[in-house]
Amino acid sequence: MIISTLKRLVWALLLLLIQVLILDQVHPWGYGAPLICSLIVITLPMGTSRSAALLWGFGTGLIADIFAGTAGISSAALTFIAFIQPPLLEVMAPRDSEEELRPSFSTMGRWNYLQFIALLLLLHHIIYFALEGFSYFFIEDIAISMGVSYAASLLLIILAEHVRNPKK
Amino acid sequence: MHDFIERITAYVHWALFLLLEVLSGFLLFQYNHYQGSVWFTQANTAAAMVHEWEAKALSYLRMPAENAALVRRNIILQNKLDILRHELALTRADSSSTHNPQEEVLRNMTLIPAQIVDNSVRKRDNMLVINAGSNDGVAPEMGVVSGTGVVGIVSAVTQHHSLVMSILNSHSSISCRLRGTEYFGYLKWKGGKPLRAYMDDVPRHAHIQKGDVIETSGFSSVFPAGIFLGKVAEIKNSSDGLAYELEILLSTDIANLRHVNVISNQNKAEIDSLLTQ
Repeated sequence: MIISTLKRLVWALLLLLIQVLILDQVHPWGYGAPLICSLIVITLPMGTSRSAALLWGFGTGLIADIFAGTAGISSAALTFIAFIQPPLLEVMAPRDSEEELRPSFSTMGRWNYLQFIALLLLLHHIIYFALEGFSYFFIEDIAISMGVSYAASLLLIILAEHVRNPKK
Repeated sequence: MHDFIERITAYVHWALFLLLEVLSGFLLFQYNHYQGSVWFTQANTAAAMVHEWEAKALSYLRMPAENAALVRRNIILQNKLDILRHELALTRADSSSTHNPQEEVLRNMTLIPAQIVDNSVRKRDNMLVINAGSNDGVAPEMGVVSGTGVVGIVSAVTQHHSLVMSILNSHSSISCRLRGTEYFGYLKWKGGKPLRAYMDDVPRHAHIQKGDVIETSGFSSVFPAGIFLGKVAEIKNSSDGLAYELEILLSTDIANLRHVNVISNQNKAEIDSLLTQ
């Protein structure tokens, strides 16, 4: 239990470093930036208590916020998907799965996991960009930023998941 | 009793969820105006340190491009210097007056060199962090420029770092004018593309052409007059139809910036005290 939490912590720090040091500086075509720190919340294993999931989400968001200067935005968005993740995982995981199922392509099935990621990531992006552009009157720009960012994040997350869990 | 506790704990995550979202909302409204709290921004010591390591590593990678830009800039300046020297020689020849107001202005300005350690262009309110702080003589409200023009205004300082409100910030408003005319207005950024800003309230009788130069007006104590901001890219009607709204192509690409200078104006306190009287 402690070891798996530690592993999770290292993984979270690594993702946050990548987010803060590399991805926050990348703006494809001048729009948006990939947001992949939500992967920390997406991959929380089944059986994580809902309160623990919420704390993971909020903590991750808070760190991302401090480094990106977006106080409250990431923490609100990640807390929200951390609230959704456990019940969604229950619904989307295969019936006969083990108790502490860790979401991945191999444990949930390719198509199921892709849907799972895509849905949570979309929620994260919608909340993030809605809060960020609070009084923004360029609605088109928000929509484009969100779209570009969403596509880039999804691509990166799929890649990252393949690197982390290579096919046997 | 046992039943009661069980029922409560079954809903504890709802309470936690609401609590954390409210907390996020509080952070969102409390600390997104930056000046309020330095510790909760990129200028806090831990975040700035990490960003500084990153900036150091990146500056090596970007050196060739930076060098090329510096060389180009050097050539332009050299050229200007030659022209000015020539002109100065001419004026000296036919007039005893060597009074140069521009020199007078610059004499009271000290430039504090700094490097950008954190930068963003994709947000609505973009901020920069530079590695010069109160120990280097930086204070809030000082102007920040690069070789290509205005970058922003210092909004908060710690000992070794400063938070700079970039011109790409919805709260930024820089007093500017059309070069060679008396038409002035405020340069504002409305989000979206990082090279597009707008200048409002230009009267309809003004003769403006695409490509006209926009520079700082010098009306505020932050920037001296005549610092390059950008060029007119598009001439549009303002929303009320009474004036022109100019779309400006900014000269400084904030996204690809590393070296900047903070303008420390020793007369600033004096000018400000006059303005508040």
